[in-house]
Parts: sequence; C-alpha cells; structure tokens
Amino acid sequence: MTVGNRLLIGVVGIAVLASSVVGQEPSLTTRLVARGATAEFAARVEALVLASERAGLPGEPIENKAIEGLAKRAPLERILPVLEQLRNRLRQGLAETEAAGLSPAPGLVVAAAAEALGRGMEPAEVRELIRSAPTPDAAAAGLSVAATLAAQGLDHRAAARAVHDAYRQGPSADQLYELPSVVADMAAHGMGMADVARRIMEGGGLPLPPMAGEGRGRGPPGGVPPGQVPGRDKAQGQGQGQGSGRRR
Amino acid sequence: MGRAGEPECDAEVVGRVLAGEIEVFGVLVARYRDAFARYATAVCGDPDLAADAMQEAFIRAFDGLRGCRQPERFGAWFFRILTNQCRNHRSRWGKHEAADPAGSVTVEAKESADGALMQGELRDGIARALDRLTADQREAFVLRHVDGRSYREMAELLVEREDVLRMRVHRARELMRRFLEERG
Amino acid sequence: MTGGWSDEAQRHLDGEGPPPPDADERARAEAFLAATRGYSAWLRVPGPQVDRAVMEAVRRSGGRGVRRSVWRWLVESRLAVRPMVAAGAAFALVIASVALTLLTQPPNRPTAQPPTGGSGAGVLVRFELDAPGARTVALAGSFNGWSDHAIAFSRSAETGRWSVTVALPPGEHQYLFVVDGERWVQDPAAHAQVRDEFGQTNSVLVVGPRGVVRS
Repeated sequence: MTVGNRLLIGVVGIAVLASSVVGQEPSLTTRLVARGATAEFAARVEALVLASERAGLPGEPIENKAIEGLAKRAPLERILPVLEQLRNRLRQGLAETEAAGLSPAPGLVVAAAAEALGRGMEPAEVRELIRSAPTPDAAAAGLSVAATLAAQGLDHRAAARAVHDAYRQGPSADQLYELPSVVADMAAHGMGMADVARRIMEGGGLPLPPMAGEGRGRGPPGGVPPGQVPGRDKAQGQGQGQGSGRRR
Repeated sequence: MGRAGEPECDAEVVGRVLAGEIEVFGVLVARYRDAFARYATAVCGDPDLAADAMQEAFIRAFDGLRGCRQPERFGAWFFRILTNQCRNHRSRWGKHEAADPAGSVTVEAKESADGALMQGELRDGIARALDRLTADQREAFVLRHVDGRSYREMAELLVEREDVLRMRVHRARELMRRFLEERG
Repeated sequence: MTGGWSDEAQRHLDGEGPPPPDADERARAEAFLAATRGYSAWLRVPGPQVDRAVMEAVRRSGGRGVRRSVWRWLVESRLAVRPMVAAGAAFALVIASVALTLLTQPPNRPTAQPPTGGSGAGVLVRFELDAPGARTVALAGSFNGWSDHAIAFSRSAETGRWSVTVALPPGEHQYLFVVDGERWVQDPAAHAQVRDEFGQTNSVLVVGPRGVVRS
C-alpha cells in the first residue's frame, strides 16, 4: 500500500468520521473519494455542486457526471472542465425554462433543457417545447424525447414538431417516452429518417400508443384539473400523504 | 411512552436496532414521523411529496444508523437527513406557480363554507409565498410558525445560532408580507 | 403602508413582546398569525402509511440495509464493493425469476409491465450482446452509478449470447456494456448514441411504459 493510498484512506476515514459527528449522511466528497477521486478533486466538485444549487440549478446532473467520469477512469483534470461546461449548460437550461414561463424552474426540466441544448437543439425550440407542454413533467419528458429523436437521426425540427403534436393529445409524461421506440420501430420496418421527418412535417405526426387499460392521455389537453398537482397521477381521494410512486 | 416492553429514549432504541432488533426501528419511525410530518409537508408544499421524502429519509437513516454518533440526539440527526430529502424532492418533483394557479384556489373556494372564502385565499397565499422563500428561510419559517417551535429547539435542529435564526425568520416574514400584499 | 414589519411587530410575532402600538400594524400582525395558524391546521399531513412502508422495506432487507427501491436504481457508490456485488447478484436472481415467469412475449418486444396507476412500477428491459470471446459482461449506466460490475450479464449455453433483464423506470437512460471489466462498448440496439464528453459515446435508451423497441 503506497503512502498515497494510506493518506487517501486516512482522509476518507476522517471525512466519514467528521460527517457522522456533524450528524449528516456521507457527503458527495466522501462518495467521490470512495470512487477513486483525490480529496482535493472531490472537494472542488462538491463546491461546484453547492454553488450551482445556490444559484437555483439542480446539482444532481453534475454529481452524476462526476461519478460517470470516475467510473470510466477519465483523468481528473479532464473531468472538471466537463462539469463546468455542464454547469454552464444548466444555466442556459434555467434561463430557457424561466423564459418559457416556468418559475421557479423545476430541476428536472432544467436538466432536460440542458441535455437538449447539449445535443444541438436550438434555444428557441427548447423554450417552445417547455411553453407548450401540458405539464412540467411532460415538458421534461418532451425535451428528453425530442433530444433523443434528434440523436436517432431525425431532423431536429421534425423532432420538436413530433413532440408538439404529441403534446396536443394530452399525454402523460410516460407516454411521451414511447416516441423513440415508435421511431425505432418505423426504422426497423425500412422507413428512412428523412421519410419519417417528411411525414411529421406534413402533419402526419407519430402514432402515440394509448396507455394499457386506459383511454388516450390523462387529464384535459393543455391543462390540469383543478386541485391536482401537474404531472402527478392522483386519483380522487388520494393525497393523504401515501407517497405513491413518483420514483423515476 | 414507557409501555411495558417498549423502550423509552432514542439512545436505547438505536442501540437495540444496531444489536439486531430491527422491528424496534418502528418506534423511531412513528415518533419522528409524528414530530416532523407537518414540517415536511409545509416545506415540500405537498403531502405526497412529503411522504416520499420522509420514507426516503427513514430508509437512509436506517441504512446509515451506525453513523449516528450521538444516538441520544437521533431526532436532530434524522432531521438533517429529512431536510436534505425534502430539498431534493422539492427541486426534482415540486410544483410551481406557472401551472394553472387558478386551479387550487378554486378547490379552496369549494372546500370553505359560509364566507370562509377569505380564509382559503389566505391559506393559498401562504402556500405560494412559502414557495418563493429560499430553502433556509422556508425551513426556519415553517419550524417557527407552522410547527410553533422555540428558537432554542430550532437552533438544536438546524444546528445554527439563535440570533442567526431570528434574523432568518424576520427576513422570511418580511418577504411573506410583501408577497401576500402583492397578491392584493 | 409600504415598508416592512417594525421591530415591535417582529418581537410580537416571535411571541416575545406585546402587540405593536400602531393599530394598523397590530391588525396586520394578528391577520398574519391567523393566516399561518389556518394554514398549519389545514395541512393534510402524511400518517402511519409512511411507517408501514418504511418498516416493510426494512423487514425485506432483513436488517442488512434497504437497497434503493428497485425502480429508482440508485445504488450508492459509498457502499463497499462486496455488499454491492452481493446485492447485484441477488438482484439479478430476482429479475431472472420474474422474467422467466413473464416469458410470453415475442422476442423483439421485451416483456413490459403496464404501470399500475402511478405506483412507480419499473419496466423490464432486456439487454443483449454478442461477445463470444468475453469472460464477463456487465451493464453500467446512469441508473446504477456506472458501476462496472453490479449488473452482470449471463451467457446462454445454446446461443452463446450474453443477456440480462433489468427493471428500469420510464425515461431516458444512458449506459454502456463493460466487457471483461475494462472495455466499455456501446449497445448497437440502443435508440441512439451520444457523446459523453469524456471522449467516448454513451448508448441511450428511452424507456416507455410498454417497454422498448430498438433496431
């Protein structure tokens, strides 16, 4: 065991001790060090995450990206710039989300907006996808789906249009997630992406499969029934703190 | 407390759980769900979200129980975990003003009877005003005004000096007053 | 009246002083207190259902620690390797047995459980890889902290193909296959491939409630 490793273990040990004396669960720093980061690197990541959260950005995407980099054994000096770029994209995502009228901006939507921007969607497209979404959950799903459709080879305007068309059918967020499979299915049946794009732009839209055992969509298109929290599947009489699954 | 066979203080319960009597963890769950459910609901802004956050917090507390170095202060230790979970859940799944604000006011109007419409609107106003505080302010305000705790208790839970907390609550009230007046 | 609470009002609202002398401010203070009291009383607060759910999870774990709810897939990286491998193996067994009992679907539509009205049920997704020379294959992704060993594939004796079936929540997932613990390869059957910004590409799968279709 090298001196470096001994030191590392010592630092992890102290960090764990410190965090438990202070009375908290293991910090991000501790978790990163356990994954092979140096204490200094971990501290810088944690500082970046905290600063981002204080600025109203979701910290989880940054944490997850750091963990991904460590898992893939990327050099530490490569990881930090990637995290900073991500933070910048999240800032952009936040700006677009607020410009679309969602304030305070939900972390899920901001993260999805950042991802969409990173995959080449235009800020205006991102804004429109948020603005015309029936619920914030649908906005996050719509952004994620549009970005994936674009990555599948669909022209990004067609991708955005497909999602807008789907919004109008009043889908749940989960139903939107069907769309990339629908496109993959079309490709498997021999349709080229250019043909799919043409069909969408001509108003053909993509077929949105109904939910198993239900009619089309949930809730009125373009709105949420009064008394319901948007994007949440609340049956009548619920809401007694059952904590029914939202575990995404 | 003090029924035959039921342990009394947190330290004793924690000790027994760590020794393998996992059922006894239920005593802590009941005790602190009762103590903090109101706080969690007001901070999360939604009872389902609060239930999820509490559930997650208890599970993390169970998993990390060995890390609770002062078991006689389990409550304060758990409170930190719960606050983190509430913040995470809020930022990931919390509701926002933009979505159909008229909706919930309509519900309030239906629920309230004979002239309590004003009450309903005030409650709705408080809920929305809370949304606009920072997390720190919201937590302090809720502990003070929704839970009715003393600054001394708050200092223990939030691990913060009383004078700092006083300023925070004063500031929160300022903002709440301004938000409520904005709505007219 | 613009401007905020006076010092007397703040002290009174703290319960540490008499009502403020100004009649208008006194009225506002009383209204504020009444509103917060009303709000507090009106809150619908989670009840013992929380206790039951927690204790079920605790019991199921047998005291060894509750793994993250299956459908969330947040395997914590702070856990030591051995428990995580054990969890991964136990997990694969559970999934394998569930998958076996649901084997009624045609091959290219993986088995999928319809969501039960917001209960957060995950969707079973099958991953496959042709890697005849490999000794081990694992699934690493955003859903398990990119662990390079926690979700292990198994090889079919007849076809030689590696596969694993995993329950994932609906939404986008990024992942790679890890061959022999060191080679990170894309899934050719994914919906798309995207840059990971570390110089590699991640495979992307968007899971809908009815399962996934890929090329």
